[in-house]
Order: sequence, then C-alpha cells, then structure tokens
Amino acid sequence: MNWEIVLLFVAPVICSLPIAFFWVKEPGSERARKLPILSVFGLFISFLIAIHILLTYPNGTYTIPWLPDYNLNFVFIFDYLSKYMGALTAFIAFMIGLYGLEYMKHDYRLGWYWFFFNMFTASMLLVVYSDNLLMLLIGWEGLGLASWGLIGHWFRDDDEIAYVGIVGRKVGPLKMYWPPSYGGWRAISTIRVGDMPMFFAVAAIYALTGNLNISQIHWGALFSKIGAVGTLFLMICFLMGPFTKSAQLPFSEWLMTAMTGPTTVSALLHSATMVAAGTYLFIRISWYIHPWALHSVPGVEMLYYFVLLLGLISALYGASVAIGCLERKVLLAASTMSSLGLMFGCAAASYWFGKLALIVAFWYLLTHAFAKATLFLVAGHLIHATHDRFCCGDLNLAKKMKTAFVATIIATIALGGLPPLTAYWVKAGMDGIMHHLVEMVGSLPLDLLILTSLLYSAFLAKFLSLNFWKGDKYHLHLHGEKLMPFAYACVVSMVFLLLYRIVTGTDPLVERHLLEFGLEKGSLIVGLGVTATYLFALVVPRIKALSPIGTFLGDRMYLPALNDFIVPSIGWAISKLIEYTHRAIDWFCHFGLPEFMLSVSKRIRSIQVGYLRVYMKIALAFVMAVIVVSMLGWL
Amino acid sequence: MLEILLIPLVITFLAPLMRPKLATAVSAISFLIPFVYTIYGLAENLVVKQPIIDIVKPIGEFYILGDQISFSFALAICLVSAMVALYSLPYMAHRFEEMGREFESEYRKYIFFYDLYATSMLWLVFSGNFIMLYIFLEISLLASFLLIYMYGYGDRRKVATLYFIWTHIAGMLALIGFLLVASTNGSLAFDSIAKIGFTAWLLIFLGMIIKLPGLGPHVWLPWAHAEAPTPVSALLSPLTVGLGAYVILRAYLISPWFIKKFMVPIFIYGVVSSIYAGFMVFRQNDYKRLLAFSTISQMGYCLIAFCLGTYGIMAVIIQYISHAFGKAILFMTAGGIIANYHGLRDITKMGGMHEYVPTISNAALLGFMNLGGILTVGMFGEFFILKGLVDTFGFDVSAILAVIFVFIISGLYSFYTFKRIYCGKPAGYEKVKVNRLLDTPLFVIGVISILFIFPPLAAILLNALKAGVAKILLLGGVAP
Amino acid sequence: MMLLMLQSVVSLILITLGAVCSIKDSRISLAVSILALVIALPVAAATQLFMYVLLVVAIGILTIFSMSVKENQMSGVDYSLVALIALITIYIAYTNDVAFILAAFVIASVPTYALVFAGDRPMVDVALKYIVFMVLATVLFIIGTLMLTFSSKAGDPTLYTLGFVMLILGLGMEVGCAPMHEWVPDVFSAADPLPLSVIASITKIVPFVAAYKIILLTELPQLSNLTIFVAFIAVISMFTGNIGALTAKETGRILAYSTVANMGYVIATLSIVTSKNYLYLAFAGALLQLIVNAFGKASFFASIKTNGNSRPLMYLLALSFIGLPPLMGFWSKFFILTSLVGAGLVWLAFLLIVNSAISIPYYLRIARNLAGDTVPGKVTAIALVASAAMLITLIPPNWFVSVAKMIIGGV
Repeated sequence: MNWEIVLLFVAPVICSLPIAFFWVKEPGSERARKLPILSVFGLFISFLIAIHILLTYPNGTYTIPWLPDYNLNFVFIFDYLSKYMGALTAFIAFMIGLYGLEYMKHDYRLGWYWFFFNMFTASMLLVVYSDNLLMLLIGWEGLGLASWGLIGHWFRDDDEIAYVGIVGRKVGPLKMYWPPSYGGWRAISTIRVGDMPMFFAVAAIYALTGNLNISQIHWGALFSKIGAVGTLFLMICFLMGPFTKSAQLPFSEWLMTAMTGPTTVSALLHSATMVAAGTYLFIRISWYIHPWALHSVPGVEMLYYFVLLLGLISALYGASVAIGCLERKVLLAASTMSSLGLMFGCAAASYWFGKLALIVAFWYLLTHAFAKATLFLVAGHLIHATHDRFCCGDLNLAKKMKTAFVATIIATIALGGLPPLTAYWVKAGMDGIMHHLVEMVGSLPLDLLILTSLLYSAFLAKFLSLNFWKGDKYHLHLHGEKLMPFAYACVVSMVFLLLYRIVTGTDPLVERHLLEFGLEKGSLIVGLGVTATYLFALVVPRIKALSPIGTFLGDRMYLPALNDFIVPSIGWAISKLIEYTHRAIDWFCHFGLPEFMLSVSKRIRSIQVGYLRVYMKIALAFVMAVIVVSMLGWL
Repeated sequence: MLEILLIPLVITFLAPLMRPKLATAVSAISFLIPFVYTIYGLAENLVVKQPIIDIVKPIGEFYILGDQISFSFALAICLVSAMVALYSLPYMAHRFEEMGREFESEYRKYIFFYDLYATSMLWLVFSGNFIMLYIFLEISLLASFLLIYMYGYGDRRKVATLYFIWTHIAGMLALIGFLLVASTNGSLAFDSIAKIGFTAWLLIFLGMIIKLPGLGPHVWLPWAHAEAPTPVSALLSPLTVGLGAYVILRAYLISPWFIKKFMVPIFIYGVVSSIYAGFMVFRQNDYKRLLAFSTISQMGYCLIAFCLGTYGIMAVIIQYISHAFGKAILFMTAGGIIANYHGLRDITKMGGMHEYVPTISNAALLGFMNLGGILTVGMFGEFFILKGLVDTFGFDVSAILAVIFVFIISGLYSFYTFKRIYCGKPAGYEKVKVNRLLDTPLFVIGVISILFIFPPLAAILLNALKAGVAKILLLGGVAP
Repeated sequence: MMLLMLQSVVSLILITLGAVCSIKDSRISLAVSILALVIALPVAAATQLFMYVLLVVAIGILTIFSMSVKENQMSGVDYSLVALIALITIYIAYTNDVAFILAAFVIASVPTYALVFAGDRPMVDVALKYIVFMVLATVLFIIGTLMLTFSSKAGDPTLYTLGFVMLILGLGMEVGCAPMHEWVPDVFSAADPLPLSVIASITKIVPFVAAYKIILLTELPQLSNLTIFVAFIAVISMFTGNIGALTAKETGRILAYSTVANMGYVIATLSIVTSKNYLYLAFAGALLQLIVNAFGKASFFASIKTNGNSRPLMYLLALSFIGLPPLMGFWSKFFILTSLVGAGLVWLAFLLIVNSAISIPYYLRIARNLAGDTVPGKVTAIALVASAAMLITLIPPNWFVSVAKMIIGGV
C-alpha cells in the first residue's frame, strides 16, 4: 500500500524529468521528441494505481509521517469522493496525455510542457486524496504553479493562435486581447489573492484546533468557539482559495485568459480537474462539516447562503458570457465557470437539504468533467485543423471529422441536461433540491438555476451549430490524426458509464435518488424547456439583431476592467507615491546630508588662513575664555 | 564542532595559493562539509558548547555555541556560500575581463576575500558571545566592502563607502547596546546574561534595523546590493542582511521583554516596510536593484514574525533560510544574464529571455517560488507566521488582512517580474551556451529548497526548531 | 630598579655618542640609536610592562628608520633625538613622581622643535608656528600641574579647577585638540613628511600618560564635576577633525585632521578618570589608540615622502584607523567605548560612533591616494611592520588592560 501511494504521485513527475532535462540540452532534436511517451507512461502508472484504489481499497485514511511533532502528517483519505475523483483525474490526465502526444508534436518547448503537465497531475491527485489541509496546500500550490506554467506555455507571444480576443481591439482604455504571458500572470496573480487568505484560514484552524485532518476536526465545536463573525471570517478566508481557483465572481477573468494555453491544458486544467478542485474542496469539507447538523451554530447558515448565491450568480454570469462568445475556447471557459457556479450552489444547498445535495453536486462535477473535457479536446482538434480560434465550420467539416462531430453531439446533449442523457438526471436532482429550498430561502435560487440551465443548453447548441453546421468559412488542414479522436472518444464514452450507474441505481450513495428526481413533473418540464432551447439555438445560432447585446456579453460585461484597469491603476498610484517618498529619503541621506557635511567641512577648514597671529588669537581667546568661565564657577 | 568550523577558515588562507579552479572547488567543499554537519546536528538535536578564550571582566567568555538555531542559520549560509563559490569562477572571469584585469592574480585576491566573507558569517552564527558576534559581523562587513570596492559596478567606490558607513553605524550602535548589557550583567557570554535593559535593547534593535533593513534606513541597500559584483550580491542580500534578524533573535531568546512590550509598533513597522518595498519592486527597471527591494520586503516578514510568539520565532528562522535560498538563486540569475549579455541589467531591454537562457529562466522560477513561499521551505515560514498571528492577535481582522496583503504582494511582484523578464516577445539577442557553473549551482539550491518541505529534511529542520526554540522560550530564560 | 638605572645611563650615553659620531658617518648614529632602544627590552623582559616597552621600541625604531629614508641637514642627530623621545616614552611608565613626569613631558617635546626643521629645505614659518604653539602648551601644562599639585595638598577647590583647566588646555594644545588645533593642518601639510612621521606619532604618547598620572596623583573630590569639560573638548575635537578631513585634498592635510579627531577620541577617555571601575579600561583604550595612531601615522607620512606604498598595507592601516576588528584600531576604540558606556557616558559613546562613521570616506581616500605598487624598500618595510602590529590583536588583547593597569596602577 505504502509504495503504491507514493508511486501514484511520484511516477508522473519522475517520468517527466528525462524530457525536461533532455530538452534543455538538445531542444527539438529527434531523440528528445520521443521522450514524451515516457511522460505519458508515468500518467499511465498513476491511472492504474488510481483505478486500483477505486476498486480495491477499503474506505479510511492512511498516514505517512511528516512532522509528527506538530501533529502534521501526510494523511491520505480514501472515501467515496476521493476514490471517484482520483480515478477521474488520472483517467482524464492519461487520455489527454495521449491526445497531447499528437497535439503537441511540433511544439518548441516540450520539456516545459510535459514537466508541468505531469506535475499538475501529481498535484491534483495530492489534492484529491489529501485529508490533511497543509498537505493539500502543497498540492494546491502545485496546481497554481502548473496552471501558470501551462497557460504561459507559449511565452513568446508570437503566435496569434495563442491569444485570447481579437488582436488589436480596444474598448476605451482596455485592450481586449491577451497574449499567453499575460494570461499566465493573470492566473497566478488572481490565485495568489485567493490562496493567501486560504492559507491563513488553514493556519488559523491549526492554531485553534491543533489538527488539520479534515475528517477529524470537530468543525461544529470550532465554529461555536469562534462565534458567528469568526466563523464567517474564517470560512470566507478559507473559501477564497476555492473561489479564485474555481473562477467565481469577481475572480473569473483569469479563467477566460487561461485559454491562451495549449488546448490540452484547457481541457485538463481549466475545465475537468483543476478548476473543479475548488468545488471539490468545498464539497469535501462540507462532507465532514455536516452543515445540515449545525443549524444551532450561528454563522453557518449565513455562510452557506452566501456560497449558494455566489455560485448561482456566477453560473448565470458565466452562461450569459458564453452566449455572447464566438471564440471556441473562451465560450467553453465561460461555460466551465457557469458549471462550477452550479456545483457551488448545489453543494451549498446541503445546509438545508442534507448530504444528498453534496452527492448531486459531485455527480455534476463528474459529468461536467467528462463532457467538458471532450468539448475542449474537440475544440483543440478543430483549432488544429482550421487554424482558427473562432467558431467556424459546416456540415462538410462534420463529415470529414466524424468522430469529433459525434463526440460533440453526445457531449453537448449529455451536459446540457437534455433528457434522457446523464446531466438531465443530475440537473433534475438540482432542480429538486432548489425547489425544496423555496420554502426556506425563497425562490431566487431556483429561478437562477432554471435560467442558467436554459442559457446553458443554448450556448452548447450554438457551439455545435457554429462549428459543424452553420459556421463561417474555414480552411481545413487535416494531418491524419489518430490519437486525438481516440482520446476524446474514450473520454466522452464515460458519460454513458455515469448514465448507467444513475439509471440502474447501482451507485452506493446515489442509489435511485436521481432517478426519482428525474421522473418528477417539474424536472420533466424543465427538461423539455431545455430541449426546446437547445433545438432553437441549434437552428438559429446567431441573432443579428441582438449583436450589441452579444458584444456586451462576449466582452464579459467589461469585467476585464477590474483586472486590467482598476486594480492596476490603484496599484500604480500607490507605488508612484511610495517611489517619491523613497526618492526623498534617498536624496536626504545620500545627497543632502553629505553636502551639508561638506559645507561644514569647508567652513572648518576656512580658519586655516596661514597666519600665526590669527591662530594665536583664536587659541588664546579660547584659553582665556575657558579660564574666565571656569573661574565664574560653572564647572 | 570547532574542527568543522576551522575547515573553511583554514581554506580561506590556503585558497589564494591555489590555481583558480582548484581554489574554487576546495572553497565549495569547505562549505559543504559544515553543511552536512549542520544537517547532522539538526537531526541529532545537538547542542554544542566549546570554550575558546576568556576575556577581561565585562566581556566574558568567548565560546562556540552550536544549538538548533545556529545550525539552522548555518545551513543556509553553508549551502549558499558553497554554491556561490562555484558560480564565482565563470562570473568573475567575465568581470575581470570587463575590467581589463589579469584573471589569475585577481582571482586569488577575490577568492580570499570571498572565503573570508562567507567564513565570518558562518562563525558569526556559532558565536556564543555578543562581542565575538560583533567581531565577525564587522569582518564580514569588511570583506564584503572590499569586494564591492574592488569589483563593483557603477560608481563602485562611492557605493562601497556608502555601504560601509551605513553598516558600520549599524554595527557600532549594536556594539554600544552590547556594552550596556556588559556593564549591567558583567559579561556578554550568552549564558551569563540575565537581562537586557531598555537602552541596550533599543540600540541593538536600531542597529539591526539598519542592517536588516527596515523602512527608513533601508536606502543604502538598493545601492549596495545592486552595484556589488553579483556573487557578492548573492551573499549580501540572502545571508548578510538577515544576520540582523539573527542578532535580534539571540537578544530575544535571552530577554524577550522588549519585543513583547513593543509588539504592536514593531508589527506595524514590519508590515509597512514590507508593503512599501513590495510596491517599490514594481517600479524598478534594474534587475539587481529590483531584487534588492524585494529583499527589504522579505526582511519585513522577519520583523513581523518577531512579534508573533514561539511560532513567529520559528518563522523568522525559516524565513531566513527560504529567503537565502531564493534570493541567492535570483541574484545568480541576474548575474547569469549580465555575464552572458555584456552587463545587461535593464529590464526594459529584456523580454522573452527564456528563449535565450532557458536554464537561467527555469532557475529564476525556483527563486521566485522561494520568495512567494510556493512549494518550497518558505511555505512553512508563511504558515508559522500565520499561525503565530492567530496565537498572538487572535482574529484581529486588520492585522490578518495586513499580513495576507504582504504575502500577496510578494507573490505578485515575483511573477510580474518573471513575466517582464523571461516571458513575452523575445528581445532579439543571440542564443548563448551558458557555462555549466552559471546554472547548475542555482538548481542545486532550488532542489534542496523544495526537498525541505518533504520528509525527511522537513522533519529534521522543523523538529529541531521546535525542540530548540520552544524549549528556550518555555523556560523563559537563557540560551544554553 | 638598579638594572633600569643602569640601562638608562647606558642608553643615554650611547645616544650621545651616536650623535657625536654622526659627524663622521650618520649610519653609526643610526645603529647606535637603535641599539640604545633595543637594550631597553631585556630589562623590561621580566616585568608586565614588556609589551608596552616592545611596542614603544618598535615605534621608535620605525620612526628612526623613517627619518633615514632620506638624508637631511642634521642626519645622525635626528636619530638620537628620536631615540631620546622613545626612551622617555618608556621611562614615563615607571615613574609616579610629578617632577620627573614634568621633565619627561618637556624632554619628549623639545627635540621636536629641532626635528621640525629637518627636511629638504627648512620651512621657517611653519616651524615657527609649531614652536610657538608648543611653548605655549608646555607653559600651560606646567603651570596647570603646579597648581594642581599645590591645591591638592592645600585643598583649594578654586585653584584646583583653574589648574585642571590649564592642564587640559595645555595638553590639548600640545597634541592638537580642537579648537587649539590651528597649527596642525598647516604644519602637517607644509613641513617635510619625514619629521612629521615622528611629530605625528610617537610624541603624542607622553603628554597623555603624563596628564593621566598627574590628574590621578592630585585628585580632589570635585574632579568629577570637571570632567565634563574634557568631554566637551573631546566632542569638538572629534567633529572638527572628522568633518574637516572630508574636504581636505592633500594627504598630509587629511592626516592632520585625522590627528585632531584621534586626539579627540583619546582625550574623551580622560572624562571618566573618576570612574574607578573603568579607569584602567579607559586608559588601555587611550594608550592603544595612541599606539595605533603612532604606527599608522608614521607609515603614512613615510609613504607620502615616497609618493605611495604597497596597496594592501595602506588599506589595512586605513581600516585599522576606521576601527574594524580584529585590527588593533578596533580594540582601542572598543576599550574606549566600553569604558564610556560602563561609566554612563552613553551619549559620548554615541557621538564617537557618529564620528567613526564620518571618518570612513577620508580614510579610504588616504589609502587610495597612497596606494601604489609593492616595491621592496625601507618605506614598505615600515608599513609592513606597522601592519603586522595592527594584526597582533587577532587574539583579543586582554594583556593590554593589565599593562595599562601597571602603568597607572601605582598612582
């Protein structure tokens, strides 16, 4: 067990080292270009171990000593959440690894790419299996770093295909296009803003309880001890990490510009796994906080209500933006943000609804991961084939890229919530939960959810339509890719596995709950509405009359101003002020004071006139003065 | 113990007699031996006390004190000194060529002062007497001064003099503080001081604030660290300034009342220093000067940490180590670019440097990770600061937000700088073959800094610190 | 004691003989003068004063060599004069008799009147300035001493105050404390550097030892009220010297101001002469500072004569003046600071530190002005010996405190 767990995390990193080193030595050589296979082999090992864990490990924790004196250890937890999530991560990572072999074949920086790709996988697995919050933070920081490295992978900013936005376009003072290096900077800076409060919260929990194992902390006692304000402060600090990582408002901008990275990265990090780590973490701690049992503790309700609303509003925002987007990947990014919002909202409902809300949120995470990864991989293939970031394509293209076409249809239907595919059942669960909440917190959450669902299916259909049916003109350059279609076919097929589990009720925790939700009348009505929207958008992907609104939405409601204008302006103003202060001190110490000294020095030397009588006068005058004064008795 | 410390001292005098390559290798080894020993000492929780000489009455006994705190500081000093020694060989070859001097004879001089400088810092942290400590402080000042004076950039004589004056005042102020302690306690050996009075504490603190440096007296640092020859910057900034924190730490362990009493002002001062310097970093266009400001910001962490109880004290030590690793790497990356591109330091003329010097760029990433406390030993530093913060101030929102903001700023400027220098459109230079000694040492430091968050190294360091610091502070009294 | 008497008589005879023989060949005088100094060593060997004697002999020989760098119009006699000063510097350590102390004071001072004329061309006006100030200083010092001796027996406080003030003024004028320092920059920049290497170095020791001994011998209770005056002179002197040196251009002139500053440091120790616990430390600091000053100034002035000297040696001496450990210049300042702080004069210690910081730039400038290539020769040898002396304190000089105790302990 021991070696297997260590190998799970270490194998990908170790296997990526040869390419990392070799690429530095011989960049671009034939031999170096063969080494990525080794990296994928590392991912394969992790995949096997994760499956092994899923199938054979008993539930429970496993400890490797780290800092026993501090009661801090590497504690791995194997429970429902981590087993599924681990298998999902390892599977998708391996599949996208395969895809990447082909996609990144001619890249100029393979060492960097594979190292960070594999490091990301290891970090993500660490986050998934970790019960200890500090150990989780190691993985968490690894995620941030890998995300930064991979977004900025094409650091030269020389290829327009890697940008986000229309190059050269400006709205007021805002440049509406972002090169990769800038995308990386935005990602790491936003994540830093979230990670530090989270880090504080972890330290505070440690200071207050002396324990950092999520499953062992007495959350209720902790919250009671620090009171309502303390709880809110602590937990919002903690959730700043998940909020920024999962791109909730107002921290969503980085995710949009993260699309400057290679598509494999977008698929793995910025849809399926890393961004979901935030929601995963929220689900995981809620799993052990048992918020439904803490109704007597002040502050907890407020916290969950806050997350509920934040999640749902972000979901609506994301869906609206996606409606207005024409860039393949940015559209998908916005939709990812929307999905993450739904997960947060649904998980937060557990306060009122109980554990099932968490399970539903988690199942939505799983579904979303497979479907969205597929869409991204298809988008990547399309960009590869058409050399165009913007949606374009027609039925002719669909014929030439049959696998992509079919995969997209399955993924959009499965994710959009059209009955009877996977997401329908999961979303039905969400509908049921939010419906349940109407009595307690009002109908706002339900309204937001339904609105988001409608928009969601609409832009998915739009994506399908604009890329394979009614899109713009394009130039096709197919290179006979085999691994890429294979990878996304494998990934998309997983949604059927999930569907099977739901419909048969074989999952130990889901049982038949989702099935029951799905067969309720309300859910069916929503399902039909969603289907109608989907079909409408499929036929009418763009409405010319509404294009000003579309531009407004597609420009993300000008939220970029926050990242690109407001915050930097304040920062520069402060730093300018500080610089002037610094210059003043510097001038005083290194110019003013020395100059003053020199002028005094000249004065001192000015008495050296060279005449003895003058000297005698001075000396004798001093002598006499001292004698007189001393006689006057001052001494 | 003494024998181990004598190795670098003896080598200091022997190295100038050897050929440059051999001298470099021997110097590096002479620091790696104590490095291994410090890890052994930490693992075994050694506390060594070896008398050297007894001085007249108010000064007391000089002895070697090796406890967990000394070992932790020595750990950083040894590793960085060894690696920078290796790095010096190609770098100084470039520098001498630039200055039009003959390589071999100049290098003999250089390696002597370099070794003297590093050795004096090593001895400093093993000093068991404040005067002994002061002497090594001044020797390190002298050696570094001469190195700047002889091989610095820009108006090197002026800058060196300026550096000398500031740090000399710093040392002398602390010296008066020590002497006051001597006059009330009759000795300056750590184990026979009972209490440090107000004036003495104030003077020691002020002196070390200049050295550290805090906001206000910090103006010397950007000059000195930017204009020093890069290997010297790579010792000055990571190791020497932090020794100010070491001195305060020693005084704190003997008589903590001063910092405890003025906790809030010192805390605020630390926060303001750190944020101030953090903002300054964004405005710098000279790579080395930029790093110098970052040093001020990082040393603000130490000031903050001093106010935060036992965990804060541990954080000071970890922060020292982490900053030493990170800043040494970063200064060496700056030097790598200088050496390969004929003195290129202006960031506005850089951009996309990863294209030309990928290894140096990767090393810089490791360096910035250290500054930001990401996946490196600095993570524990930040963690302990935050824990100490809660222990000390509870849920004081303004204090917490201030510290969080400090941490955010340093992360931001790190990656902002990285983006400016290494990413973006390549600036149009020729790709060069980087000398192996100009990049390998950086990776050695970087990898070790990462290894320090995993067992066994993490456990060795942190357990020893807990044993060392916590024990002293719980007893509320005198260092062993 | 008998041995000492014998030795002194032999030495004096030797010196006289040397001076006489120099008419024939100045080298005889050189050898004989050095011999006269060297025989003082075995006599002191058994006593605790040995290190002091050794250092003074070293300085004496150094300055004799420095006089011999270039022939002057009284070559031969000058060696004898220097030897005489060195001998009297040794003997003053042994005595506690006021009359003898005064005699020593005069003997150490008068030969320099002649020496100041030595050089390539006699500079009468410079010499005149020097001599006038010296005479005035000697008069003040002697009158002050007499008043102190009398009033301490008679118990007259007013006279005592007057005597003390005059003694300090005389001392200050003799060694060149501000504000009676006017002669120093003129003489140091205009006169020949070689005799200056004597005047600026070894001659400063006797006045201070004499002043210490006299003050201690004649101490009255109100002395503790008077010491503030000394501190006052010390502060003025330090600041005048250090700031004045900042803009001085010629090396000789910088050294002049450096002397003013150094005398300020030394005279500062007199301000705690009443604090019995720290008296010895203070005196040790003062004496060590004088020795550092003597070694350093002798080498610097000799180097001026040859327009430069070995680079590392010049820097080493300059750094010693600045006060960096483990050089001797550090320990002298360290002892001074320790005693000042211990006796409660923290403010004075603080000002001393400020001054030591101000002094850094010009000491570096001296070193840079004088730094040249290493050419084997007399001047290099002088600097080498001086540098070696600066390094003897690599081991902390505990012993020096006991030496200081010996010198003024019997008082």
